Amino acid sequence: MIGLVEVATALLVGTWTGPLVVLLVVLASAAGAQVLRGVGLVLLTMVPFLASIVVINTFLFPGASDAIGRIGPLTPTWSGLSFALQISVRLLAFSLALSLVFLTTPVDDLLTELERRGLGRRGVFVLGAGLRTIPRMAERTREIADAQRARGLDTEGRPWRRVRGLLPLVAPLVFGALTEVEEHTLALEARAFSAPVRRTPLRTLPDRPGERLLRWGLTATLVAVLVGLAVAKVPVP
Amino acid sequence: MIELSTEGLVHVYREGSVRAVDEVDLHIKAGERVALIGQNGSGKSTLVRHFNGLLRPTDGRVVVEGADAAGLAVAQLARRVGLVFQDPDRQIFAGSVRAEVEFGPRNLGMTVADRRAAVDDALSAVGLAGDTDTNPYDLGYSRRKLLALASVLAMRTPVLVLDEPTTGQDLRGVELVQRVIEEAHSAGRTVLAISHDMRFVAETFDRVIVMRTGRVVLDGTPADVFAERSWPALRSTFLEPPLAASVGARLGLGSTPTDGAFVSALRRVDGPAPDA
Repeated sequence: MIGLVEVATALLVGTWTGPLVVLLVVLASAAGAQVLRGVGLVLLTMVPFLASIVVINTFLFPGASDAIGRIGPLTPTWSGLSFALQISVRLLAFSLALSLVFLTTPVDDLLTELERRGLGRRGVFVLGAGLRTIPRMAERTREIADAQRARGLDTEGRPWRRVRGLLPLVAPLVFGALTEVEEHTLALEARAFSAPVRRTPLRTLPDRPGERLLRWGLTATLVAVLVGLAVAKVPVP
Repeated sequence: MIELSTEGLVHVYREGSVRAVDEVDLHIKAGERVALIGQNGSGKSTLVRHFNGLLRPTDGRVVVEGADAAGLAVAQLARRVGLVFQDPDRQIFAGSVRAEVEFGPRNLGMTVADRRAAVDDALSAVGLAGDTDTNPYDLGYSRRKLLALASVLAMRTPVLVLDEPTTGQDLRGVELVQRVIEEAHSAGRTVLAISHDMRFVAETFDRVIVMRTGRVVLDGTPADVFAERSWPALRSTFLEPPLAASVGARLGLGSTPTDGAFVSALRRVDGPAPDA
């Protein structure tokens, strides 16, 4: 819940304050939940993307004239840099908050609770299949890459070799995933997935009063922020 | 001459987890036909992936044709050791059978003429010579598995490693795989195969290595490994000797009896066989 509220805040609250507050809360929550390492890995994967945002906007921001200096034919600008950093912080806050949700919530728990709260079984299946596919695809990609390397595909060294090495991975990955989904669906149907009966939950997740209080408190905070932004037009620096 | 060897090989997938391969010393001579058997998770696949560098030792050494594998990239080792994976669908990607089989030889830089000859030979060996233009995904599973075998055969590596080559094969498919191994052996190539098919193992290989929890527990000829004295060790790794070996042992014919020995033994027990 904390993660979800952070995601919404990072997206909706403007400029610097929202994303920066969210970033701090994410880091504190991640430290508390002992998932700082996982959050760090997500951050690491985002570095190239963030770097490209900063470079492109700093050097090519349309209409900006407040030059920082001059590098050959390019003119970096303060407006571009400021815009790039703002977007980067917002993107970082959104992505890390989202990663916090999945690092702290077991997929099975999430699906069980969503089904208990009325999400249809098809919705739960689609969401669950999507979430569970990620680690399976990673494993499959590794296996396919190994099979092609065993046939002499050189994926080490120069970047163009690595790019060329991607082609033989795509077909087995895509066909394999499609076949797996089809087989999975048939196997579910064979086990009465579509039977028109009410399903008995196998387990109920504990929901302590403190957790309920925190959840409602966070929801109220989010609503208050949104109302403050939309109705009272509270200026956010 | 020793073609493949491991010295004190240890492999641990994650720090603190169990040793998937635990202090394995193995020496395989050039031209040997070796079967690697053991329960699931005994370390067979982990072991063979060290021979072409897909896995690197946590400890110990792997030597391929006299060279330390640590100093060679996977692409270099692929010239010496061809590995056929268990699941063909994890490697097939091309739009035609010929293109799929050409992939390895092309990566190795074979000339066009050599490549054509290698591909034709490999496809003939697995019975797919008439399917060169077929889309691999239009083939059934057992034929896709043979295609995966052909795609590595065509690389003409001195060592051939096969992971469960008979899974999903009918009798004809098993015979084809046996013939491929026989031809590779005749050509002086070393063959190492992982299998759970004990009959195939007993009939095809000169040497059988049994693994349990990352260690080698038996290593010998099929007659030694399937002999009655080895059954407790086999059962400890959830394997059973082939039916012929267990019946042969009970009839006093040894663990690798021939058809003729069976017929003679049955005649002694029941009188002349019906077709005699």
